[in-house]
Amino acid sequence: MKIFQIALGILAAIGGFVDIGDLVFNVAAGAAFGYQLLWVVVVGVVGIIVYSEMCGRVAAVSEKAVFDAVRERVGFGAGLTTLIAAQVVNLMTLAAEVGGVAICLRLLSGLPYRWLILAAIVALGLIVWVVSFDWIERIFGYGGLCLLVFAVAAVKLHPDWGDVAHGFVPHVDTSDTLLYCYFAVGLLGAAMTPYEVYFYSSGAIEEGWGPKDLGINRANALIGYGLGGFLSFALMITGGALFLGQEIEPELLGSIAMGAQVPLGQVGLVLALIGILFAVGGASIDTLFSGAYNLAQFMGWEWGRYRSNAGAPRFTLTWLVLLVLALGIVMTGIDPVMLTEYAVIFSVVALPLTYLPILLVANDKAYMGRYANGRLANVLGATYFVIILAVSLSAIPLMILTNVGQS
Amino acid sequence: MSEELDLGLAVLDHQLLDCDGRRCGNVDDLAIEGGPGEHAEVAAILSGPNVWRGRAGFLGRIAARIGGDGRVRTPWSEVAEVEAHVTLKKRAPDYGLGRLDDRLRPWIERIPGAGR
Repeated sequence: MKIFQIALGILAAIGGFVDIGDLVFNVAAGAAFGYQLLWVVVVGVVGIIVYSEMCGRVAAVSEKAVFDAVRERVGFGAGLTTLIAAQVVNLMTLAAEVGGVAICLRLLSGLPYRWLILAAIVALGLIVWVVSFDWIERIFGYGGLCLLVFAVAAVKLHPDWGDVAHGFVPHVDTSDTLLYCYFAVGLLGAAMTPYEVYFYSSGAIEEGWGPKDLGINRANALIGYGLGGFLSFALMITGGALFLGQEIEPELLGSIAMGAQVPLGQVGLVLALIGILFAVGGASIDTLFSGAYNLAQFMGWEWGRYRSNAGAPRFTLTWLVLLVLALGIVMTGIDPVMLTEYAVIFSVVALPLTYLPILLVANDKAYMGRYANGRLANVLGATYFVIILAVSLSAIPLMILTNVGQS
Repeated sequence: MSEELDLGLAVLDHQLLDCDGRRCGNVDDLAIEGGPGEHAEVAAILSGPNVWRGRAGFLGRIAARIGGDGRVRTPWSEVAEVEAHVTLKKRAPDYGLGRLDDRLRPWIERIPGAGR
């Protein structure tokens, strides 16, 4: 029974890893540079595994979620700055994901986009209001597994496996180094999006994890995100095999789904769209909750879906307000894919302020006792912190220099 | 509570829990009593937006203005336990903590399914 539960959690984590940022950046990176950037996905996935494991462990042992740690460690002022940055990026991401849901629904149904935005918002609101936390995770996690169709598609597209293997070795084989760096930063940002750790750590508290669950934590982070990274490889390979040198930029979710349609026909297309729908829908809910978790934790309010809606009033009000704000943003007609690119790049800037407090708390023997970071977690954590810092400093200049990846 | 505590790291900015485990605010600041040369003692925990005013300069003042005038003083003698969180001896309403949640709750409860 225990093994069964762990397996369920891992499956949900695989399906939950990919969101609109991963879809856009992986396929676009494939279209621009073939398989050259696969190694960056590996770097990003190991990073999210390292920090998610830490967050889950901190939450299980000390019942502190990310923004509890942020406020305690960097203080009120810097914490408030981090909160504001996190909330802005989070709202942008939420709007992008909701727009993605509406695009998928339009591609599946042919109905007008704006009505589908409204339908998506109402559906998401109802699901969060009615369905329990466990089931939300399961429904969207399992639905997202339809994305595995991209793995089949990647094989069916018969890529040059030698080139694919070479992509896992860091190398630069292009004259446009700036664009290459821009995509590398975007891929790292998409894999290590901060809302993933906000949601993961708060989710651990939602599910009542304690020190006995540290095995589940490790398995979820390692296998769930690891296999989620495998989906990212598949997306980049389909992008590379299909669009490289075609002068087509897969800027629309529909063209991302083409990656499955070309080799597998109508069935591939429908599975891809359903997978994208659940992945992006699940990410909408993750970002929605994350926004409410962050604010409530920083302010010290009662929070969590494990309390009833009325049991955590300001938390509930916060996610309702965020949903309305997201509706307003998407209704302006802004392109969700463009919004995604901005959200991912800006999120990279906010990464160090999110990850430093986690590293500090995970090291604090006063709370963590014998569960504090070991040498491996510390070496990896510190290494990644340096990487994150470098990437966050270069993100905005690269975005400007490449005209948001258009050069 | 005779053991040593680093107030800056172990108490300030930590979550307050009432005796039922309800999250009811943060340790936004501490009131410390004792003049120069005297023995300094923590007198109370201060919580609420009004307290932020003095904590983060310009940003804190804006946050305080948006947050309103709420300020709750909880005597340090009401602290039951300082661990990962700071736990109080009685229920939140007994100290005037979590009042906004209590005021908002009846409105949320009017929506069907609020108990889910």
